[in-house]
Amino acid sequence: MTEEADILFALIRARYAARLDAGQLEELRKAVEGIVRDVATLRAATIPEDAEPGQPFTPFRAVP
Amino acid sequence: MSGEFRTIRELGADIRAGRLSPLLLAEACMKRLETVGRALNAVVTVTRERALEQARRAERELAAGHDRGPLHGIPYGAKDLLATSGGIPTTWGAAPFRDRCFDEDATVIQRLEDAGAVLVAKLAMVEFAGGMGYRQPNASFTGPGISPWAADAWSGGSSSGSGSAVGAGLVPFAIGSETWGSILGPATYCGATGLRPTYGRVSRHGAMALCWTLDKLGPLALTADDCGLVLEAIAGADPRDATAAARAYRYERPSADARFRFAVVRGTVDASEPAVRDGLRAALERLREVGTIEEITLPDRPYEAMARIILWAEGASAFDRLIEGGVIDGLTAPEDRVTPYARDAILAKDYLRALRLRGVVAREIDSVLSQFDAIVGPSRGTAGPRLGAEFRSAIRGSFPDVLGAIGNAAGLPAIGVPCGFAPDGLPIGMQFLGRAWDENTVLAAAYAWQARTDFHRQWPV
Repeated sequence: MTEEADILFALIRARYAARLDAGQLEELRKAVEGIVRDVATLRAATIPEDAEPGQPFTPFRAVP
Repeated sequence: MSGEFRTIRELGADIRAGRLSPLLLAEACMKRLETVGRALNAVVTVTRERALEQARRAERELAAGHDRGPLHGIPYGAKDLLATSGGIPTTWGAAPFRDRCFDEDATVIQRLEDAGAVLVAKLAMVEFAGGMGYRQPNASFTGPGISPWAADAWSGGSSSGSGSAVGAGLVPFAIGSETWGSILGPATYCGATGLRPTYGRVSRHGAMALCWTLDKLGPLALTADDCGLVLEAIAGADPRDATAAARAYRYERPSADARFRFAVVRGTVDASEPAVRDGLRAALERLREVGTIEEITLPDRPYEAMARIILWAEGASAFDRLIEGGVIDGLTAPEDRVTPYARDAILAKDYLRALRLRGVVAREIDSVLSQFDAIVGPSRGTAGPRLGAEFRSAIRGSFPDVLGAIGNAAGLPAIGVPCGFAPDGLPIGMQFLGRAWDENTVLAAAYAWQARTDFHRQWPV
């Protein structure tokens, strides 16, 4: 388990451990490791500085 | 008077010639949904009252010369994440919502009503459309979806009932949804044809939100031609869904003699299971009858990780209340009660990085696709997972699906068509992935394929 996965899992355990048993926590730990692996791959990808997230937000104004 | 395994065009011709009654057709479909459909765990609710009312209206209108078009009097089923009024439950496949009803119809349901189609059933689906991370077929309160091709094979998900109902000939078409694989997967495993439209082509108003920037609604049917007819009826702008594009869509029935330029992404066929890979190779040889095929290499990008992070982050927010409030404790799949909590590990910066990368990928893949009519590949790299066992899936990172990740993340249209059978007799599928808003091109390619093959006309016994 990487240090980042360790820290993130600690956060999730703090939030939700009361709802989960030991087996479920172990499953959760593996899921967090998977996310951290994906994120590491993403962070390694080169993205142009001007690449925007492309969210379709538009300012709202009620009529009139 | 049966509509079993008959296309929309065939049924429509019989209805207009007076050889087939919409009312009796709806009755026949509902009878089979109640028997075969229930046995396949494909049905949540048979919408008898509404169906009979719509079918009677279709008979009256057609007799009076008021023809609403090719779907008039045609029965269909809707994935149970589309809101329906009139006391018909909309369950999202989840036990905690088995009795939940809405006051209005989803836009797609309304558009199909306007087109004269007859809603005969709300169809089963994986709970919350798989958004909780299920990894085995038993993840719906209606039981695991069963493929019409084998009693021990999964129908696929999350549009399980839509795939089974069409594949078993219970309805001529059904509406499904896809965030990543939920139309093409069940279409493949059930031997049906499934169209995932461009993101924004079809309004999502009234549909359960799993991922706001990935969710698409589309048809499953017996042929590509029928998918085109349904898409024309449900496409278009909607003031209640800001992402529904104002681009007009009109289905153009293709020529069977059209020629195409296809690309195959290096490695995508070989990455499939051997049973699928061998069938796909044979299909690609056959496909040369309708066009050229060039092997290409895509830029080296973390396509699947990108799509997963977007999916999990948006899903965590979309279902935040249900996760935090403990509603997920009532779900069927044990893993669906646990893994959603892990999404708190996704940082906002990383989600935004995935979105930024998606924009780059969308431009790169459009540049590639501008040189071809479609990219061809497996619609599913695995064939017929078995009930009672874990299946492999790109969404959980246990199986590659580069085309699915790119196609869904970039919002591109794709159609999955039957292209052969695995040695155990289960259907396998091939997809045509096209440029944004080019549904007619992928439909035309699939049409040309189906004009030369009969995989889509082989039915389960």
